[in-house]
Amino acid sequence: MSTEQITAPGAPSPSGETAARPGPRTGARSGRGPRSMTTRRAISFYVFAGPWMLGFLALTAFPLGYALWLSLTNSDGLSNNSRFVGLDNYREVFSDPETMSSLARTGVFTAITVPLTIAAGLLLAVLVNQPIRARGLFRTLLYLPAVVPPVGAALTFKLIFDRDSGAANGALDALHIDGVSWLMDPYARWVLVSLTVWGAGNVMIISLAGLQDIPRELHEAARIDGANAWQTFTRITLPLLSPVLFFQVITGIIAAVQSFLPLLISLDPTPKGVTAVPEGNYLFMIHVFAQYFANGRYGYASAMLWVLFLIIIAVTFLVFRLSKGAVFYAVDPEPAAKASRPRTIGGK
Amino acid sequence: MVFPRRSAVYMLLVGALVLFLGPFAWLLDTALKAPSELRVLPIHWWPHHLSLNNFRDALTQIDYLGYARNSLTIATLYAVLVTLASAWAGYGFARLNAPGKRMIFNVLLSTMMLPQILTLIPTYLLFAKLHLTNTYMPWVLWGLSGAPYLIFLFRQFFSNMPKELEEAAIVDGCGQIRIFWRIFLPQSWPVIATSLILSFSWTWGDFVAPALLLDDNHTTLAVKLAYGYVNEHGSPLWNLVAAGAVMYVVPVLALFLIVQRGFVTGVATSGLK
Repeated sequence: MSTEQITAPGAPSPSGETAARPGPRTGARSGRGPRSMTTRRAISFYVFAGPWMLGFLALTAFPLGYALWLSLTNSDGLSNNSRFVGLDNYREVFSDPETMSSLARTGVFTAITVPLTIAAGLLLAVLVNQPIRARGLFRTLLYLPAVVPPVGAALTFKLIFDRDSGAANGALDALHIDGVSWLMDPYARWVLVSLTVWGAGNVMIISLAGLQDIPRELHEAARIDGANAWQTFTRITLPLLSPVLFFQVITGIIAAVQSFLPLLISLDPTPKGVTAVPEGNYLFMIHVFAQYFANGRYGYASAMLWVLFLIIIAVTFLVFRLSKGAVFYAVDPEPAAKASRPRTIGGK
Repeated sequence: MVFPRRSAVYMLLVGALVLFLGPFAWLLDTALKAPSELRVLPIHWWPHHLSLNNFRDALTQIDYLGYARNSLTIATLYAVLVTLASAWAGYGFARLNAPGKRMIFNVLLSTMMLPQILTLIPTYLLFAKLHLTNTYMPWVLWGLSGAPYLIFLFRQFFSNMPKELEEAAIVDGCGQIRIFWRIFLPQSWPVIATSLILSFSWTWGDFVAPALLLDDNHTTLAVKLAYGYVNEHGSPLWNLVAAGAVMYVVPVLALFLIVQRGFVTGVATSGLK
């Protein structure tokens, strides 16, 4: 499958149509009138895009709108006598200390796990890109944890960090240190962080693909110029890899925000057990869940969802802005195709 | 970049392997221990009474095969539908033009960035109102509408196919649907495989959607595993948890090892989009 000449989607102000490959234009050659052909193609396009568009409207846009409407009411999801309360829920989101602290905690969690995962994944990618024996095996084995479904991974970490039978306390005991309750405060957050970083194989594979796209000549030229390994890495590898890493930052943030691992490593991993999540792991989404399913505060919880939605848009936008200049994009091989900023990666 | 010393590379890699594979070892270790070995100090690093009883008990303590069947049904249903629907939409975005296409494509790209959790709860409320909870309909509907990421994968693949394929067919009087079905789809098996594998493993691993939409009898293995193995006092039976998790994870790992290429291409491509 061709992975080159693929363009970066989802820019915040996507001038979107990815470069240079509009589908075939009107089939003026086919002998029929070009106009009727164009119309038929347009109809065909909507026939093909239609199911997705309907799905998007019904299962994405409508639910978001429904949540927006709920967020302006005091709905509890059950009784029908909910009433319009204006922006009260939003005011409460910003004045409720518990909500604000869960939001801050989510920010800290993201700020720790995203760079850590990317750094670990990048280091592994560089290592398994070296000319060593059995590197295919190393790649496969290091990627394995990333394939494990979240529930499987969470249960595995619960076993390791169990107070009585876990390996973590077993190791401490061997060192004559008293074991601790890892799955409780204040340790639970570190279990969560390590569980998240355990999946760094994803970053490794994606970065590895990026590393392999870097022309060998660049490294050789650098070596001839007397650059040492570190200089080559920071001056050549990192800049050329930056679009890939940048993409990892965005997807990492999105994944961190919607992580349900805090619930899965808590003592009662059911939607109703969200209130049992230790405070250190009580992230924003867990709080949203608690409001919906433990407290039945649908209106308030919907307002929280919408605040999160806006924050994610803002953060994504901010990251895009900050990365301008820091992220290096190869020059578009077909500059005539787009007047906008070239976004083609790895075009050859 | 070449590391100054190769032995340093091996040392780092072996260290990483210990950290990354250690958890698997402990999972298997716990699954093979007798229950009595769990609460001893110093802990048993290796099972002293090796037995497969935990696996047998894990299958009977909960209706393991029943839940596995639920997972399998949902995952297969979703994977097949979403792959077809995504190929269908991807063809439109790759090969056809229409007014408004650009805007629609931009919407598609931005939904790829949208955390699904945002829409999941309101969608659940919607499904609950329509009495679709405890059915597989939500997955059918999700499947039929395609997944933005997979649509994008198919679009990329179809965009790179030569124009002549289509033009010849048009001259022969083929409609777009036939062109898609007879010419483009059969050529795209690498993407189809990637799409099936990715969507199957997403659904097999998903926790939140089934936890919300399905009750205890209809739910998937992932959900039941997370809380199902407890004794009469509600404390977890770690041996059974371990054995159950092994049986849940191993098929996924096996699938990965068999079709590594599909997995890795899909994931790696996602970084280069």
